[in-house]
Amino acid sequence: MTELTLYEEAMCCSTGVCGPDPDDELVEVSAALDQLEAARDDLEIARANMQHDMDQFLETQPIYDLVEEHGPSILPITVVDDEVVAEGEYLGYDELEAVLEDGVDARPTEA
Amino acid sequence: MSRQPPQATTGAREVVEPSGEATEFVFFSGKGGVGKSTVSCATATWLADNGYETLLVTTDPAPNLSDIFEQGIGHEVTPIDGVEGLSAIEIDPDVAAEEYRQETIEPMRELLDEAAIETVEEQLNSPCVEEIAAFDNFVEFMDSPDYDVVVFDTAPTGHTIRLMELPSDWNAELEKGGSTCIGPAASMEDKKRAYERAIDTLQDDERTSFAFVGKPEDSSIDEIERSASDLGELGIESQLLILNGYLPESVCEDPFFEGKRADEQAVIDRAREAFDADATATYPLQPGEIAGLDLLADVGGVLYDGEAATVDAGAAPDVDADAVEFDAMADPDAVAEQLTPTAETRYLFFTGKGGVGKSTVASTAATKLAEAGHETLVVTTDPAAHLEDIFGEPVGHEPTSVGPDRLDAARIDQERALEEYREGVLDHVRTMYEDREDTDIDVDAAIANVEEELESPCAEEMAALEKFVSYFDEDGYDVVVFDTAPTGHTLRLLELPSEWKGFMDLGSLTKGAAPAKGDQYDEVIEIMKDPDRSTFAFVMYPEYTPMMEAYRAAADLEEQVGIETSLVVANYLLPEAYGDNAFFANRRAQQARYLEAIRDRFDAPTMLAPLRREAPVGPEDLSRFGEDIAGLARLTEPASDGDGEAVRTR
Repeated sequence: MTELTLYEEAMCCSTGVCGPDPDDELVEVSAALDQLEAARDDLEIARANMQHDMDQFLETQPIYDLVEEHGPSILPITVVDDEVVAEGEYLGYDELEAVLEDGVDARPTEA
Repeated sequence: MSRQPPQATTGAREVVEPSGEATEFVFFSGKGGVGKSTVSCATATWLADNGYETLLVTTDPAPNLSDIFEQGIGHEVTPIDGVEGLSAIEIDPDVAAEEYRQETIEPMRELLDEAAIETVEEQLNSPCVEEIAAFDNFVEFMDSPDYDVVVFDTAPTGHTIRLMELPSDWNAELEKGGSTCIGPAASMEDKKRAYERAIDTLQDDERTSFAFVGKPEDSSIDEIERSASDLGELGIESQLLILNGYLPESVCEDPFFEGKRADEQAVIDRAREAFDADATATYPLQPGEIAGLDLLADVGGVLYDGEAATVDAGAAPDVDADAVEFDAMADPDAVAEQLTPTAETRYLFFTGKGGVGKSTVASTAATKLAEAGHETLVVTTDPAAHLEDIFGEPVGHEPTSVGPDRLDAARIDQERALEEYREGVLDHVRTMYEDREDTDIDVDAAIANVEEELESPCAEEMAALEKFVSYFDEDGYDVVVFDTAPTGHTLRLLELPSEWKGFMDLGSLTKGAAPAKGDQYDEVIEIMKDPDRSTFAFVMYPEYTPMMEAYRAAADLEEQVGIETSLVVANYLLPEAYGDNAFFANRRAQQARYLEAIRDRFDAPTMLAPLRREAPVGPEDLSRFGEDIAGLARLTEPASDGDGEAVRTR
């Protein structure tokens, strides 16, 4: 089981379809997440935004530390199985797939 | 039913009187100014007098329970003096919304600095939040085991419906696990259960009674029927209809008022027949305002014990009935100046609660402006408006002529606006994906996803707003007259551009995509704020609730959008030629008193429109009606057309 979690800034709606114009980036990431979740049985996706899920920011130490240090501009943060894989931007579908494919191993780590 | 009701029982009593062990709820719905508060107070008093522990809750932003009970009430549950077993509370929806915002922000303070908190605060000024907060309050009082019965003097009809509708939508959203506008997820499951309980209770006609209060007027009944059918779709039965303020027979002594009374009685008959309620009750107009326990007891006795109403024409206190001079209170030149276009297109907004006659006033103003030589478009953004009835011509989504030269009309068709908005968003999303070649993304699924999201309650609001803004781009008109939706809704419509613009400026919600829309909204707001190009006219009639509602709406408009009210329309002034008796003298004096109050509160010229025997229908009738309205008549006076005629003097 792989867990992918997106930590996002405070927003009313994370779908991107709320307001005079759709938010391309949010529409895209919502669709990408849906598709990934449908395609992979072993993947669980969660999204947390500051307005609705503040407790998750407070309870998840690495996220807490990142936001405290850099402010909300560090959001969105993408986390795969407790490893931060992206900060400050949404990953596209291909990037998300790559991250999930290669798992945490692909990330530059000091041995 | 085999049970023989006791002699004095009325159908209304069967509806509101508690029958079981659990707390029961009575909701009064209806537009401002129909006497909803009066009926709620009278009902709560009657219930308490009959031995039931009763709580009266109002969520009206301009509550007048204090005036009716002649004692201070406020944000805390307060026992009512002189009525054992009765308490009341006035909930300020603005305070409730602010509390909700602070509750949401509080946990963030630990993590975010001042600037970041401010950004979040800005985002929480979203259109959803006030709705949520209001509903939370409402749910809170649905759990009041200490009382036998809780009487809600609810917010006006349209708003009430939204409150009712939202929880079902929210629950659907929650089950989907998708986005919501409700609030912190931590409390979500709790809320979900509370909402579900509230909805169950609302739909349980053993425990909950829905009552509508209206005036004996066609428009009032139509509005109630619409609201009742909306509620019906949500599984909520309307059980009681109370028609308040009919003209008492004894005081109608001339053809004008005899005719009015006959019309009212016909409306009451029609309502009894057409409205699918368990019971209908009526209460007459009084010469003064209904306040104090004696009059409340009279109302309760009539509605629930089948007693005859007491109407004492001499009862209105403290008025000098002879000193009423409506004409002296008008300022036709200043009014005409506010209406007349200059070099650029002028936008006139007639706003006010439903039932104040703003569609008729807006249509009459448009008719006179066209007559005066200006290319004129009149647009209604009110789904309940009836421009086609007023002009006697079909009025559609796009501007079309309604007969007279230079006069076009249009109305926002809610469904078509929504369809247009949906198509726009979907097109946008399709185009967005066309530009992407590098992904394996399932575009059809993505679009289906968006389509589903567009079923949200927000989408309707956005759709109406889009259409509203589009009328600012109509070319070729010297004047565009907006017959706006009821005040609260209008405000939201008007506020939305600023709010969304605020979001866009924050750059967070609509990254990249927004500039074109942002500029368009900016321009619309600029136009609305510019007193040389826009005129905001509040329509009301000179009574407490309509005046207060207009005043609050005007204050909000100024505070939140920076728009000043530049015209006030006082409608339904009792003509001096008719009603020559103490009853109408007292009514006129009361109107004059409120006219004074209106002039004190609003720093704007006043347009005065008389009560008509019948509402004007068709362009000719509208034109004639315009002659009776100070300021409108001035528009077509020949003095200013420069053809050499002398300036007319009075």
